[in-house]
Amino acid sequence: MNHLTNEQFEDIMQGNDIDLTHLNQCRDCQDRLAEKQAIAARLHSAFASVKADAGLADRIRCQIKQNSEIADSAKSIQQTWTTRLHHKLWPALTAAAAILVVLMLLSFYVMTPPAAKAAQAELVMIHQQNLGPHREFYRDTNPEKLAEYFKDKLGFTPAFPCTGQGMEIRGCCVAHFKGQIVGSYVVDTPRGIISIITVTDTPKQMGMTHMPGKKGYEQSFWKSSYAQCNMVTVRLGGYSYCAIGEISEISHECLRDLLSRLLPNTQQ
Amino acid sequence: MCTSSESFEGIALPHLNAVYRAAVAICGRQREAEDLVQDTFLKAFERFELFEKGTNCKAWLLQILRNTWIDQLRHQKVTGLTLPLEEEIVADAPEDYETVWSDADDLLENFSDEQIIKALSELPEGQRLTLFLTDVEQLSQKEVAQITGVALGTVKSRASRARAELKRKLNSYAKQMGLMGGEK
Repeated sequence: MNHLTNEQFEDIMQGNDIDLTHLNQCRDCQDRLAEKQAIAARLHSAFASVKADAGLADRIRCQIKQNSEIADSAKSIQQTWTTRLHHKLWPALTAAAAILVVLMLLSFYVMTPPAAKAAQAELVMIHQQNLGPHREFYRDTNPEKLAEYFKDKLGFTPAFPCTGQGMEIRGCCVAHFKGQIVGSYVVDTPRGIISIITVTDTPKQMGMTHMPGKKGYEQSFWKSSYAQCNMVTVRLGGYSYCAIGEISEISHECLRDLLSRLLPNTQQ
Repeated sequence: MCTSSESFEGIALPHLNAVYRAAVAICGRQREAEDLVQDTFLKAFERFELFEKGTNCKAWLLQILRNTWIDQLRHQKVTGLTLPLEEEIVADAPEDYETVWSDADDLLENFSDEQIIKALSELPEGQRLTLFLTDVEQLSQKEVAQITGVALGTVKSRASRARAELKRKLNSYAKQMGLMGGEK
């Protein structure tokens, strides 16, 4: 019987609607939940006495009043200028803006082929689905079993990530990329959850740019960003291993570091 | 649409304590927290025309607080005062993650409020704010996701990791205070 995951504990603490059958039967999970709830309650009570100094509210009120007066006088000056602009400069500014927009759109399409952008969008979508509640993972602590799972689903076994150092495999799954089945690992790291997706496309085909070399890395790494995600890819044994994480959590350099730790063949 | 300073004061200032608590949680120091709160309210006032009446003003203010804090960190980074925006080092897995406290409530009562707040302020930025919003302000995961600008799944994993990290820090405090011995 699998114990509750950390995310399931969070759902329970939030009062989200989840199946509590296991919790009702498992003493270990009940103890863990009680501990998490106790920490949350103590944290809440620790802040109960934290209140802003009365003077702070006065200082804010005073500054708002000052800024409001400055804004009012600036507004009247701006109105005068706006009227002048309307009559004299408006047509010229509109034309310049239109040219700028056209140039920006053109440069976007020239710099990044649409197919490459679509590939990046698909990779990000796989990662987002990996984070979602409906993704079904294959989990096993035995690496050989995971290898068998991929061999069965993909017809080959991708390089298996080496965990430790605060990193743990959440599970693996298969997804669709460009109409083909690809393998994906989901790894809990101290920097957040990342997905490692194995595809046959080269980093260049996926519109990624080469990362400047760094001492200690044998392989070349490639990077790109799409939507709210950073991606770093390394090529091993005819496959591209693309690590994806959220921009707000993880930089390209950190993704490269994690990828090189997870796939030691990339290090010298 | 709201424009006047009176309207702003009536809608936004009642959330001063919540914003201040969040500032204390992320700054750890009272003086810095007050400056951050002041900057936050001034920015909020400048953008008050964009605030939709009837929506969650506290969440809106906390989002501005978070963005203001990140701007300040970036500025400090540029000017050489390095404050890590994110954790750059892959830390070893803490040894206490898997043990469960035998009587968590009793153990936690031994810590002062200051110790609890200090332990929280030592967490990485993303974890610190997520745990504060979840446990102290008791916002929904969706609201926390909007404030912190990450996916819902990330909020869950961050909150969970933050709580585990907080526990690890409190464990180490407990050992220093000679309180440990009740693990199973």
